[in-house]
Order: sequence, then C-alpha cells, then structure tokens
Amino acid sequence: MISLSPFKEFGLLGINRRNASYILPRNPRRLYPLVDDKLKTKELLGANRLPVPELYFSIAHNFESNYLRELKFLKQFVIKPARGSGGKGILVIIDKNELGWVRIGRELLSASDLEYHISNILAGLYSLGGLPDKVIIEYRVRSHLSLRPVAFQGVPDIRIILYRGIPVMSMLRFPTKESGGKANLHEGAIGVGVDMLKGITLNGVYHDKLIERHPDTRIPISGIQIPFWDLILNEAAKIFDVFKLGYMGIDFVVDQALGPLILELNARPGLNIQLANGAGLLPRLNAVDALGSSVENMSFSRRVELAREITKCA
Amino acid sequence: MNRRVYILSAILVILSAVLIAARVIYGGFTVKPEYSQNMWRISVVMNLGGKGEKAKLSLTLPRDTERQKIYNEHFENKGMNFCVREKALSGNRIGIWSSALLDGRKSIRYTFSAQLKSVNYVIPTQLEIPKDPEASYPPEFDIWLKPSQFIQSDDPLVAKRLKEIIGTRRKADDVVRGIYDFVREGVKYRSEKGSKDAKETLEKLCADCGGKARLFVALSRAAGIPSRLVGGLILKKGVKSTTHVWAECYLGGIWIPFDVVNKHYGSIPGHYLELYRGDYFLLKHSGIETIQYFFIFARERIPPVDSAWSLYALPLRFQGLINVLLFIPIGALIVCFFRTVIGIPTFGTFTPILLTLAFREISPVVGLVSLSAIVFLGCVLRRILDSLRILMFSRLSIIVTMVVIFIIIMSVSAWRFGQQSVLYISMFPMVIMTWIIERFSISQIEDGTRAAFNALGGTAAVAGAAYFLMELHSLRAYLFAFPELLLVVLALLLLLGRYTGIRLTELWRFREFSKIKRKSAQ
Repeated sequence: MISLSPFKEFGLLGINRRNASYILPRNPRRLYPLVDDKLKTKELLGANRLPVPELYFSIAHNFESNYLRELKFLKQFVIKPARGSGGKGILVIIDKNELGWVRIGRELLSASDLEYHISNILAGLYSLGGLPDKVIIEYRVRSHLSLRPVAFQGVPDIRIILYRGIPVMSMLRFPTKESGGKANLHEGAIGVGVDMLKGITLNGVYHDKLIERHPDTRIPISGIQIPFWDLILNEAAKIFDVFKLGYMGIDFVVDQALGPLILELNARPGLNIQLANGAGLLPRLNAVDALGSSVENMSFSRRVELAREITKCA
Repeated sequence: MNRRVYILSAILVILSAVLIAARVIYGGFTVKPEYSQNMWRISVVMNLGGKGEKAKLSLTLPRDTERQKIYNEHFENKGMNFCVREKALSGNRIGIWSSALLDGRKSIRYTFSAQLKSVNYVIPTQLEIPKDPEASYPPEFDIWLKPSQFIQSDDPLVAKRLKEIIGTRRKADDVVRGIYDFVREGVKYRSEKGSKDAKETLEKLCADCGGKARLFVALSRAAGIPSRLVGGLILKKGVKSTTHVWAECYLGGIWIPFDVVNKHYGSIPGHYLELYRGDYFLLKHSGIETIQYFFIFARERIPPVDSAWSLYALPLRFQGLINVLLFIPIGALIVCFFRTVIGIPTFGTFTPILLTLAFREISPVVGLVSLSAIVFLGCVLRRILDSLRILMFSRLSIIVTMVVIFIIIMSVSAWRFGQQSVLYISMFPMVIMTWIIERFSISQIEDGTRAAFNALGGTAAVAGAAYFLMELHSLRAYLFAFPELLLVVLALLLLLGRYTGIRLTELWRFREFSKIKRKSAQ
C-alpha cells in the first residue's frame, strides 16, 4: 500500500507491515503457547538437544511448599515467571549466607521474601494478561569474559531474527543502570548491531538514539567480537526445525562455562534492531523470499550459508 | 490477500450504496409532485441553562395535516427525559423534556423534515352563518366558539365593532371578508415584544401578527364562526428565531386559513409550517434559568426514509440508545485509525470509546479533570498497597472499591454543603473511569509507568477526537437515517486492517536513521 516513509531506501520495516505481512501469515497461532511459556520452550529445546540454562525445578501451585526446602540447597539461581514479558519478575540470586539469599545488587532476601515473590508470580502479576503462571528456577548464567567489561550489570544477550529458518539480523543487548540489569531496550538497555558475517559489533542505540559508548561504563561498544558466533548462528538455524515459526526472535546468552545458551524465543520481536544495525529488515526479508519456498526444507547448515550470502549482498 | 480485501471492501461499499438507494426509493412515503417544491429540513435548537433544580420544558411539535407531512424526526435529548403527549381537544403534539436536576448548559436539538404544499380554498358563496352557532356545531367546537383569556369575543367593544363591519349581512363569505379587510387595513402592523390580546388590539388599533390574529378570531367568533389561532413558522433558508401566528375559520365543513399580516385570504403558501392550534405557547418551561432558541431551515434533499423498517419506527426512548450504539463502530474506526496509521497507544479498542461516551455525559473538561483525579488517586493507593504486599487481584479490587468510596464521600459532602449542582455526575461515566484505573494499573505492571501514562494520554486524546467527531450533528443524523453506512465503516476497517505502511510515530522513533543517511551520503 501507500508508503509515506522518508526512510524507504533503508527498507525500514514498520509494525503494521511486520504484523500483516510477516507475523500473521508466517507464525501459526497454535505455536504461540510454545514460545510464550518459557517452561514449554525450555523443555522442547532441551528434548531436541539445543542448549538451554538447566532447569532446577518448576512450581505450578502455591501449595507446593516443599520448594523452599529445595531452595535451601541452592546457592546461585534465577527465579522467573514462565509467561513473563520484558524481563519482569526475574530475580537473580548470586549467593547465600546465614542471613538469607543475596540478590544481584547485594540486597539481602529472606525466605519469606522469596515466598512472596513466588506467590506473586503464581498469581499472574508478571504474566501477560494477568493469567495464573508458573515459576521457573534455573541455572544462573554468568556472562562470558569477553562481554563482561562492557556490561554494567546483568548478562548481555544476543537477539537473532530468524526468518523462515535463516538468521537475517542480530543485535547484542547490554543492560544499563537504568534498565536494572535487564536486557530490554524499552526499559533502557542498549542495543548494538552485529555484523552477520563475523559477529563483530557495529552501532549502538539507546532510547531510540545512536550512541558510540556504553552510557554507564563509557566503553566503546563497536568492534566487540561475540564469542562462539558461528555456533550461535548454527544453533539459531536449528531452532527452526523444532519451532516452525517463520518470523521469530531468539535470545542467546554466552555463559562463561557453558557457552551459548538459548534463553527464550519471541514470536513478535521488536523493530529497534534495525536502528541498532543502521539498516532496515525489508531488503534481507525480501532476499530470503526471493530464494523460493524450498528454503524452509533445507538443512540448517545450508541456511546459515545462505544467511551469510544474503547479508553480504544487503 | 490484499486483492481479496479490496474486493470485499468494494462489495461492502456497493452493498451499502444499494441499500441506501433502495431505502431512498422505497423507504418511506413517496414524494408527491405537489410537495416536491417545498421540502424542508428544520432544526429547532434550544440552549438551556439550568439552575440546579427540577426543570421542565415543553415544545409544540408539528404534526401531519392535509397539507403538511412530517418525517425523519430526530431527537437529541442530551440525557434529559423525553416524551411526547397528544392533546385531546386541540390535537397538538407536545414534546416534553424534563430533568430531575438540571445543571450547567445543555443544547437540545430537534430535527425533522417537512413536505408542505400551498392550498387555495374557496368559501361557498351561498353559505350562511347559523342563527344559533352553539347548537348547530358538535360540542367539541365549543372551545373554538367561546371567548378565551386573550380572545375576548364577548366583549361589548368587539360586538360593537362587528356590528359596524358587517351590519346585517349573514353570508359567511361577506362576513369573513369584512372582518379580514378591517383587521388588515384598520389595524396597523408593528412588531412588538409580547403580543396584545384581542381587546387591547381593538383599542390601540396597532399590533403584531399575534394581536391581529387574535382580533380576527375574536370578531369571527362573535359573528358565530368557529375560529382559532394557528402558530407556526415561515420557512426561509437560514437561521431565525421568530415564529408566526395566523387564523383559521371553520367554514363549510373545513378549516380555512387566513393570514391578515401577509395577506393570504383563504389560502396558505407552501412555506408555512404549522406547529400548534389554538391560543397556545410554542415553548413553556419551568426551573430553567436561561433559554435561548432558534430555528435552522434548509432545503431537504433526502426523501423520507422513516418506513416501518427504519430506526425512526422505534419508540423514542430506544432511539437515544440506538444513537449511542451507532457511535460505537465509528469510535472503533477512529481508534483503529489512530493506532495503525498514526500509532498512538491506547488501552485497547473499547476504553477510548467508553471514555468518549463518558465525555458525552459530562463535558470533556469535567471528564478530563475527574479522569486525572481518579488516576492520581489510583496511583497513590497502588503505592500504599505495594508496600503492604497485596496480591494482584485483591489489589485491583481494592483500588476500584476505594475509588467508589471516594466518589460516595465526595457526593455526600457536596450535597451536604449545598454544592449539588457541581457534583451531578451520573454513575455511568464514573464506572468507566474506575475501569480505566484498572487498565492503567495493569499497564503499569506490564509495560511500566511511562508506557502506562503514554497509553492514558493516547486514550484521552483519541477519546477527545472521537468526541468532536461525534458532536458533528450531520454525521449523527445521516447515520441514524442510513444505518447502512456501517457497511462502509466495515469496509474502511478492512482496509485499515491491511495497511502495512509506516506509522507516523515510527518516523519519530526511527528518526536517527536520518543521521545514518547523512553519514552514508558523505
């Protein structure tokens, strides 16, 4: 239809077009529960031998009071809602002493604090639409050493847009002081575009504005090599064989001991990734569509090769 | 995909056009050729200023007669109670608006279409006036023969003057002609404030249309001819606030009109609209501080559409409800446009529509003030409840309950201190506002405070835009006459549903792209 955009030459993808031309036709609704519920995502990924942070246990009901007994044996873990959005309700515990648990930022939490947090999650405080939710208690990821200096706090993650099984664009997201350790752009995290060929960072974006340095640590954000880049691209492409969502966002973290792990999948990934990369998504999406319908049946390694060809041209 | 949507939208638009055409052609009374020159669309606008007490207003409404047809009547009662009564004797139709407590300004509007024709009557030349009029007419003619408060037909002065005019003539034609000539020539016309009665007119020999018509009727009644006043409007394109009064005499079994001011003897022109019969008032009111009214006259181009299958056929009290219902799709269209083309966030689709309905009940200004007050209250309460660690469902319910308590306290104390007029806010908007707090709180939890405020502002802005569109009188009137237009709304919604262009707010969001553009150009 009519395009009024002065950024047409960039091939900027807007929300309307993302929804009408990509999400609605390519993402079948029946698959949404699989990605909206992180517990289901994790189980399915794990069953297909894709790397995820280890699940210690999950809680579905308030009366499962034995969870606190089990928590006592854990020193470092993450509590998060299964259907949370935007990193809300995530509690990262980094230590345990005789007074209780220490969360990130050194705040001390008692057993009743944890219990309250867990029952809030169960009641649906952090879930989409306020529906009752489940609690995930899992392995605490610690950032890979090569990304740690830039990050202010929390764990940076790597968002990859997978279109019909082909990784088309990527962004490294750093938490900031403002975002409170979360890697969510609209809460104030920064997004950094990534060169798809080499996995080296490019521009950064912070609150819709272009930046060159991390606002808290003042460290330049371009030119950082993402560790295990080829492995990440391969794992991303493999996910399409498990989740047949034509247009999805995949969030990776790189653990210092375990390497790339898949945190979550997103059936409606945001569009700020374009600003971080200084490039629109449309040329790359069109290039994938130009390959014809056979793309989705190719092997993951072939799709990664195609991803490199496409991003080289675009 | 797009092609199918375009085709479907086109089908809907065509279907709507066909239905409207069918309604225009077969919808109501067909337009008779003698009426075609005189089709009018008339609005009566009444601006009321209440004084915070029980108020009542009645207006005589036009009715169908041998020479006028009223159709497509549309009432905008602005929340006042409304009913129509028919008077048994005069046959007048009275519209009555009332309110248990009228405060502030209200603008009531009554719009209708009229088909009129001019008629020339011939008075039978041989017709004689009966010797004993009261015995020769049926008893219901008594009120048109006996004197009344302002038509003193039994006054000796009137009898004396009648004697001078007609002498011993008994032929109806001669008598009426004599009276007509006397009132036309003998009484000077002067427009004045408040018409004189018949006796005073005869004494001063100077009056406006009301005084002249009363004297004409008084003399006719004294002569034994049943006669009455007729009040109405002389239609002329534009806006005016003056009404007109003329007379009718019952001669040879029919009522024949006479207008001594504009010289119509036994005839009535096509631009005269009759509103009431008898010495009556166009408007009566009580409990109202100020009232200002005017009439808007325009040529009517739509033929009648008030068939049994139209919304006009519904009882009046449902028509008001239908007006609200008809607005909902229009509101949804506006919300859709603002969200997909402009990109303004709102709390869902229905919250802005409900807020618009609330704005309609209480004015937008009062609405915005109470909205901000209630949201502020909700935020403060949320802070307190957060520190108490109350679970979500209870927390939302507590906020809603507290707001209701707050409203009750406000209403009771305002009543106690005599400020009832300030707080006459119906419950309906309040329920909507409390509901908005819940949406606000959920949004605050899910998307953060900033996003919640953005969506709140967006909701208020979209509701405001929808309110102003809804205030367009012609839009409402057309939608009521042709609810088929909703199919066009459907077509537009379908097209908006396939709009894949960039949203206006995205241009702002991605504004930094222009920097990159410059860099790459260098």
